Amino acid sequence: MKITLSVNLGGYSFNIDEDAYDELRAYLENLGIWFAQEESSGEILNDIESRIAELFRAKLSDYKQVITIEDVKAVISVLGTPEDIAGKNGEGNRGRTGAAGTHRMYRDPDNRMIGGVCAGIAAYWHIEPLVIRIIFLALVFAGGLGLLIYLILWIVLPEARTTAQKIEMRGEPVDIHNIKESVKREFEQVRKKMNL
Amino acid sequence: MDIENTTAQMRKGILEYCILLVLSGNSCYASDIIRELKEVKVIVVEGTLYPLLTRLKNAGLLSYRWEESPQGPPRKYYELTGQGRKYLAELDQAWAELVESVGLIRKNRK
Repeated sequence: MKITLSVNLGGYSFNIDEDAYDELRAYLENLGIWFAQEESSGEILNDIESRIAELFRAKLSDYKQVITIEDVKAVISVLGTPEDIAGKNGEGNRGRTGAAGTHRMYRDPDNRMIGGVCAGIAAYWHIEPLVIRIIFLALVFAGGLGLLIYLILWIVLPEARTTAQKIEMRGEPVDIHNIKESVKREFEQVRKKMNL
Repeated sequence: MDIENTTAQMRKGILEYCILLVLSGNSCYASDIIRELKEVKVIVVEGTLYPLLTRLKNAGLLSYRWEESPQGPPRKYYELTGQGRKYLAELDQAWAELVESVGLIRKNRK
């Protein structure tokens, strides 16, 4: 069972899985950053949203009423990521500054012990999660401050759900190469879990 | 050098010309333009088209009108403006010259 959300895209209403929604939102945000310097970026994004709506409608039928993450990925590959749209060396660095090199702190759900806070901080600073965990444990035993900080961070930090967010967490630019690497990494993790 | 990149640059260079050509007949809505350009493999990802359409429209070469669609929300139909037709005529000439130049160079090598 999955939670679905209802979204308005180009004047159509769609039921969309939660993970698919996150993926789509991250994609549209990236496009927004990419086109931010265009004269009529809002208009371009509206046109693209209408096209996405059209492609989604072609995927729905009486037997399939919800947009899944596979549908979103298929549509993204048809429309292209910002890098595809610009072409390889395409239009230089236009709009890149925003999309590339964003470095944000997230909770890391893949390496979590409790809420993924320590793992997220560790991924942000590129160090071992164990180091952060020891510091937090020390703070917990030295008066309990660690517990409070942990709970606040758990509430404040968003979870890195989409591939793009996981790349941002590590501070790598969100481009095709890194997305491929990140997906490969996730695949390896799943495989490891299956072997256990 | 990489062949894919070079051919991609070539395609990109003629994309505006191709869009204007598609629109030189009837007015079209974006998905019609995409279908035609994809069929002849001028565009790879659809997202390339939208910023270009908007830029051409802002430059006064294209205009659009909203038209009711048989199903769903109204669609944007693009068409060439007078200025766009003049621009297209110039591009037609430039393209003919390019084809001739390349043809001449190739012929000189045979």
